[in-house]
Amino acid sequence: MVMYFFNSSDKWQKPVQLSETDNQAYFDKNKAREKVCARWLKEQSKTVRKPITLAASVAIINGLGVTVQSAALAFLMQAIIIDKLPWASLMTPFLVLAGVFIVRSFCVYGHQVLGFEAGAKVRASIRQQLLAKFLTLGPAEIKQRQSGELSAIMLEQVDALENYFSRYLPQQIIVGVLPIIMIIVVMPINWVVGLIFLFTGPLVPIFMALVGMGAASANRSQFLAMARMSGYFLDRLQGLPTLKLFGQAAQELNTINQIAGGFREKTMAVLRIAFLSSAILEFFSAVAVALVAVYVGLGLLGQIHFGPAEQISFREALFVLLLAPEFFLPLRQLAINYHDRAAALGAADAILTILEKDADAPDTLSAGKSRLDKCSLIEFNTVSKFYAQRQVLTDINLCIAAGEKIALVGESGAGKTTLLNLLLGFEAATEGQIYLNGLPVNCEYAAKAIAWVGQNAYIFHGSIKENIALADPDASEQRIINAAQAAGVNEFSEQLSEGLLTQIGERGYGLSGGQVQRIALARAFLKNADIILLDEPTANLDATNKTALLAVIDQLFADKTLIIATHDPLVINRMARQITLRQGRLVL
Amino acid sequence: MKDLWFFLKLFKPHSGWLLGGIILSLLTAFAAIALLTLSGWFISASALAGLVVIDGNVLAFNFMLPAAQIRALAITRTLGRYGERLVTHDATFRVLAGIRSWFFQQLIPLVPGRLSVMRSGDLLSRMTADIDALDSLYLRLLAPAIVATIGVTAVTILLAFYAPVISLATGLMLVVASVVVPWIFNRLGRSGAEQIVVLAANFRVRQVDMMQGFADLLANQAYERFSHFLQQFSDLMLNTQQQNNRLSAISSTITFLLAQITVLMALVLGAILFKESLLSGTDLALVVFCVLAAFELVTPLPVALQMLAKLQKAAQRIRQVTEMSPTAPRHIQVEVLPERYDLQLNNVSFRYPDQQNWVLKNISLVIPQGSKIAIVGVSGSGKTTLLHLLMRYYDPDQGNVLMAEHNLKQLDADQLMTCFGVLSQSSQLFAASIKQNLLIAKPNALAIELDAAIQAAGLDKFISYLPEGLDTWVGESGVKVSGGEARRIALARLYLKNAPVLILDEPTEGLDSDTERDVFKALANFARDKTVIMVTHREAGLGLVDVVYSMEQGVLSKL
Repeated sequence: MVMYFFNSSDKWQKPVQLSETDNQAYFDKNKAREKVCARWLKEQSKTVRKPITLAASVAIINGLGVTVQSAALAFLMQAIIIDKLPWASLMTPFLVLAGVFIVRSFCVYGHQVLGFEAGAKVRASIRQQLLAKFLTLGPAEIKQRQSGELSAIMLEQVDALENYFSRYLPQQIIVGVLPIIMIIVVMPINWVVGLIFLFTGPLVPIFMALVGMGAASANRSQFLAMARMSGYFLDRLQGLPTLKLFGQAAQELNTINQIAGGFREKTMAVLRIAFLSSAILEFFSAVAVALVAVYVGLGLLGQIHFGPAEQISFREALFVLLLAPEFFLPLRQLAINYHDRAAALGAADAILTILEKDADAPDTLSAGKSRLDKCSLIEFNTVSKFYAQRQVLTDINLCIAAGEKIALVGESGAGKTTLLNLLLGFEAATEGQIYLNGLPVNCEYAAKAIAWVGQNAYIFHGSIKENIALADPDASEQRIINAAQAAGVNEFSEQLSEGLLTQIGERGYGLSGGQVQRIALARAFLKNADIILLDEPTANLDATNKTALLAVIDQLFADKTLIIATHDPLVINRMARQITLRQGRLVL
Repeated sequence: MKDLWFFLKLFKPHSGWLLGGIILSLLTAFAAIALLTLSGWFISASALAGLVVIDGNVLAFNFMLPAAQIRALAITRTLGRYGERLVTHDATFRVLAGIRSWFFQQLIPLVPGRLSVMRSGDLLSRMTADIDALDSLYLRLLAPAIVATIGVTAVTILLAFYAPVISLATGLMLVVASVVVPWIFNRLGRSGAEQIVVLAANFRVRQVDMMQGFADLLANQAYERFSHFLQQFSDLMLNTQQQNNRLSAISSTITFLLAQITVLMALVLGAILFKESLLSGTDLALVVFCVLAAFELVTPLPVALQMLAKLQKAAQRIRQVTEMSPTAPRHIQVEVLPERYDLQLNNVSFRYPDQQNWVLKNISLVIPQGSKIAIVGVSGSGKTTLLHLLMRYYDPDQGNVLMAEHNLKQLDADQLMTCFGVLSQSSQLFAASIKQNLLIAKPNALAIELDAAIQAAGLDKFISYLPEGLDTWVGESGVKVSGGEARRIALARLYLKNAPVLILDEPTEGLDSDTERDVFKALANFARDKTVIMVTHREAGLGLVDVVYSMEQGVLSKL
């Protein structure tokens, strides 16, 4: 049954669950998209060039150490087993070996630490970019997205970028240097082995790219699944009481199961590609190593006469055999890190959908042309607002002078809240312009001039006091107490064991609707702005409290511009002017 | 550890696969060691054989067999590792997916009473990130530990056949690398590993809080402050990760150094034995290469144990929630739902857990089936709490609540819920279409029933404005519809559910007077044969009821 109404194939299940083929199509069709993501990642790496180069250099030194170590080991084996040299002449190679070990251990440490630094720095900067972007997008846009999904992007997907910077980028440099050095070293010792290296080496990146072709889209698919899972879970966790009320909680398990299963499948799809590619490359390098082993082995036995096989010594044979796997190691590592790159591309796609999003809120930077001949404090100039096809406000012309007391009335759905949102700069008008003090409105500017109490005020995690002092955390104790008293917060806070310092949960859990509203009003009282916007301030209040509140509003906001969206005749009658909206139009 | 054991047991249904995974990874590990050992032996045997040939004595040396063995081992290692990874990861993620729905299932009896104190962002972290962290329980901890134990023993025994001294030294070093070093780094890493779980959870809580209260932050010029704070949190998280990374870099360095020292030691000891003719040349190469390869067995352990605390913390956080006792515990022997819906409160007193004040004081009230009552009173007087007791969100501290002479405690909680239709001051809408939101009340509702409910709730006009009609998406918590529209959707749900007892908690709050009149007119019609229990502070709607009570500071009196 639940399958029916939360069916994932239902086209109204908005966060679309893409199949792997859809995804492949997405990236195929938009090869350009993958390139955009790749370019963006490159762009981000510019600030951390230094640690990346350092991490690579350290690893290259380590690789050189491996070469020296192999040579010393081979020399020692020959000296002990074949040449049977005395201890005295073994001392130097033993010391060299010990020295190399010490140098290499520093390299192992340095490589890991330096790489991480690069990734951490980039992640911090991307989180900052995202936070700044949320601001420019504005509340209307943010509300379109599920908070659980946004948190998955900020946390998990930003973290998924780490290995691209800490491992893949340094490895790219390493691969460009280390194998070449090893070929140069091997060539004069045994040119056949050198040639084997030279021809098999480049095959590794080719295979890596071939096998890893679908990796980016698989990763994108997995990130989508993860974000969707987070968004969905948060929504259902918050609505669990309602689900339970309708006896749907147990059935919801089916959907949860389905989503968790989908996430597992997507994760496995990513892993299958990664495992397959590392298996193929491991096999490939094993075959190459075996080729070297058989060549030098048979050479030692005198069974093969090609190239320098006959002159090969045990020491040389051992050296190239020890070096062969080390030659392939950085290449194989790159193949593993290639999946870090794919993961980063997938995450970058999700991050970029936010960073590239056009803001619907009015721009905070472009001031637009100001109206110097300001006729009034607030002016709506032929303002219209559409949500997709649906027109919610039509041709609003409105002037409000400083100090006016206005009731904004209209049926629910008439556009009152949208009008207030436009004035607050939360959303941009589709047509027309809104001026505040003669300047085009934007969110930052509006927030300075306006104190607003919305219909569903949000209570943040923290104490009642912190919630009241939201606009001014440094407000004096007395001001907070005054605001609390004016809004009637003290009536219930005094009953709580810790008074105003009582911690309250999100969405005001533990508080009734009326109590939440009072805290929100106290916020407005504390803010002391020139313009006061109240959206249904008397909802959730009984008659006695309502009369008391209106008296307080009259007294505290006597010299302010006051706009109250309301249905309450008692409130409407108290206001000097009435603005009526009907189906998005002003009624004159 | 108890928590880890608990989750380990959840892996049981997949134990066949997991055991297979361990066997495959043992096979892989042995193939890898044998590959290097055999190669070393092969080369040195070839060299020595070659020397002998040069000396003029023809020595029969079957080079084809070891060469074939080397190839076979290379293939075994590759295929083994691929198969092992596929099998173990698949089994692990199956378990995790199962744990996720299990977790959700455990939450159901905990709402709304118990979970109201928890942040939903935190719950989300537990349901996603913390459960994800459990993947390392088998993949990074259990499987490598078992493989290392068996592998180290086998290598030590093998070496003992060739050179007991080297076997002893190597075994000792392997134990240091697989037990002592991991133990030390477990100690050193504990706080950092735990912290990373807690920090990430707090980060998510903060961020969800910010996103859901976004408009209030902007309007109060507080966004900058909050995002700065979140940024600091992110920095703290990165710092902790950095410290953890440093520590794991040190532990890998130490393991690396141990491996190298052991090789050096084996070489020196081997050389001594060789010079005293206790070890042949080919066996010397075999031993050195074997030691070189054996350390692969223990390299994953120090980091796994360093992050063990992360795993423990995550397991503990999951269990913390699932071990909570519901505010209304399930009765062992559940009685079937009575046929009648007469409700009765007998001397009920109640206060919320961990709170001093009594919210309800000695309340007695009889609500026969079909009667219609209202309770009026100022906000905070305990009206809503009384409703919650009737629906058994909580059990009373004193007295009892009865339905048709049956104590609510003895009824099945899910069945009890089918009796109540609720319309309250806050209507939870889901991130889904309007239609899906309506169907929650009756998943198999016919189109006609939907239409009727929409008509009755006065939603038809609103829906006709929408280009996508019923299929319009109402975002998270239904943010894209106005308060009045959300209430009408909730009203339509009430119609669809068609329960015998209507609980109306400030049903018309925030509606304009026209809409309010509509709603009450519709309710009066709908509620004709139902029980109505309404809580309100408004005059309107009182015409719907026969008896009005007043609630004052937890004391109920008839008006």
